[in-house]
Amino acid sequence: MAAIEASKSSTPLLKDELDIVIPTIRNLDFLEMWRPFFQPYHLIIVQDGDPSKKINVPEGFDYELYNRNDINKILGPKASCISFKDSACRCFGYMVSKKKYIFTIDDDCFVAKDPTGKEINALEQHIKNLLSPSTPFFFNTLYDPYRDGADFVRGYPFSLREGVPTAVSHGLWLNIPDYDAPTQLVKPRERNTRYVDAVMTIPKGTLFPMCGMNLGFNRELIGPAMYFGLMGDGQPIGRYDDMWAGWCTKVICDHMGLGIKTGLPYIWHSKASNPFVNLKKEYKGIYWQEELIPFFQSVTLPKDCTTVQKCYLELAKQVKAKLGKVDEYFNKLADAMVTWIEAWDELNPSTVLANGSTK
Amino acid sequence: MDTSATHLLKDELDIVIPTIRNLDFLEMWRPFFEPYHLIIVQDGDPSRTIKVPDGFDYELYNRNDINKILGPKASCISFKDSACRCFGYMVSKKKYIFTIDDDCFVAKDPSGKEINALSQHIKNLLCPSTPNFFNTLYDPFREGADFVRGYPFSLREGVPTAVSHGLWMNIPDYDAPTQLVKPLERNKRYVDAVLTIPKGTLFPMCGMNLAFDRDLIGPAMYFGLMGDGQPIGRYDDMWAGWCVKVICDHLGLGVKTGLPYIWHSKASNPFVNLKKEYHGIFWQEEIIPFFQAATLSKDSTTVQKCHVELSKQVKEKLGKIDPYFVKLADAMVTWIEAWDELNPATDSGKK
Repeated sequence: MAAIEASKSSTPLLKDELDIVIPTIRNLDFLEMWRPFFQPYHLIIVQDGDPSKKINVPEGFDYELYNRNDINKILGPKASCISFKDSACRCFGYMVSKKKYIFTIDDDCFVAKDPTGKEINALEQHIKNLLSPSTPFFFNTLYDPYRDGADFVRGYPFSLREGVPTAVSHGLWLNIPDYDAPTQLVKPRERNTRYVDAVMTIPKGTLFPMCGMNLGFNRELIGPAMYFGLMGDGQPIGRYDDMWAGWCTKVICDHMGLGIKTGLPYIWHSKASNPFVNLKKEYKGIYWQEELIPFFQSVTLPKDCTTVQKCYLELAKQVKAKLGKVDEYFNKLADAMVTWIEAWDELNPSTVLANGSTK
Repeated sequence: MDTSATHLLKDELDIVIPTIRNLDFLEMWRPFFEPYHLIIVQDGDPSRTIKVPDGFDYELYNRNDINKILGPKASCISFKDSACRCFGYMVSKKKYIFTIDDDCFVAKDPSGKEINALSQHIKNLLCPSTPNFFNTLYDPFREGADFVRGYPFSLREGVPTAVSHGLWMNIPDYDAPTQLVKPLERNKRYVDAVLTIPKGTLFPMCGMNLAFDRDLIGPAMYFGLMGDGQPIGRYDDMWAGWCVKVICDHLGLGVKTGLPYIWHSKASNPFVNLKKEYHGIFWQEEIIPFFQAATLSKDSTTVQKCHVELSKQVKEKLGKIDPYFVKLADAMVTWIEAWDELNPATDSGKK
């Protein structure tokens, strides 16, 4: 793993170690704007919706594309765990990737500018975030202590200054903020114009709403936990895919001593989704959330859950045991979580590393 | 809410300033501080006269005053250390406190505008905190922001804010080892955010630019035994912050950090600092796990009860590290006794 040097221009590209996963149902025109930043990388396009539609990928990009037929062919019956008619299908891309890192972005997200007017290389910032440690055990009031020009403050215990490996880098959005339907209905004109120049670790024991629009993660450290659930067609809920993955991921990261960062980089979110459609999708979630959050807040994983897969399967058991009574959906979801892990392990047979641990 | 409409709270807030030198820095703050009552806590030689710039309404206490007012209980108030500032919290009769160091000046935001730190602290204190779930757009109550998708609706009322912790441009608040290793580093990064420190998470609370709701959390703001005759210094605000956070978490109160920035002009001497912090560097390693594991009983329903219970645990669990902690635990109790004496409980709810 290449070390990060002081100057921005020497952040490693990681071009052979990172895949960009993009779910789409329309087109990939947005890639033109990202070309200077994305062209070195391999793309995994997950085409949702009608598989007979041809998705045009701009020239010059190296990519693999999967539509529903491909997903069904590759996973067979296990394809049932991959959502249809919902961007949650993107997690199929995580599963088939062979790279160490994933960056995922929505097709309505464009390059943003920082307050000086300079275009933001979101991918480079995610890489910086992922390659430097997180600090989940104690809050640093100057935010990311590993950033240029910052450090740990007085009173920060020295034994905690090594930090822990970073599993997830959660980026933010200028312009259209990621609001739920009620908020969109009440404040249709609100735009996020505030650039907050910080990256910070979300403390251990604290949950957060993980948005999948602008997200990087270390697939080797946390990949199997990034299951985006059962959404869309035939499902009673939508727009909770990334939320679900985020709560599972956070609980598992806390258990395994891994870090999650949030903040920079910003992208420019151009499209406000239809709040009436969103309300229909989110409706059940608004109520279910009230039970889900206490569930995740009180989840504990036993000591013998030493891999992400084991943690995830244990979580699936607890989902079935404790949330099954909230709605039948959670029984299905728990089963799908297991199917996901089985499919993941099939597509990613574990290798035993020199130190005896499995990958 | 624009600044001119921000509640001044001029009859509800005291500004507490510890000083050993002079108060020249107040000239720069005059436009922002003049409406408020100041409580000056004069550290060091009481025979020295500290000149307060004209036009400020203030009360000043030197060591003789502290000894006179508290009698034997004055032993809990540090001498030759800015920790003595907490005496100011105790004698105040106001609902809110803002405390600032005498080497902290008015900073400018990226647009070049002077920052009214006090008005930002007031904003922070008057709107709720959200310690139970992290909002990725930071303070949801700020103009132009809100709770994001996935934030549970039942948690959107927030909880009352007890503490507003501001930051510093220019000389950052580093410990001695960091100062020795990076003497040139300056904080140039303006982070335009206020956020709640989540429940269950400790933080290093710096007393240089700090505000709090005295009614909600005052008795927990004890800055410990530092300075003259003590084996440690520069851990006063840290100690108070760890106690405060544990108690806030227990009582369902919020602690915010971020804006406002002040301009910190003076880098203290790192060699002197290392001497002061030396024991703390090692003790910290035991203190942090102690606070992380501290639980308070259901019967501790007031800040005073929480602080007294905490002091018992300090004696029991930290006493074995060094006798200092036995003394400190006793001083924590003395502090509460002194607080209650100077602030007799009223029937208007819990204090």
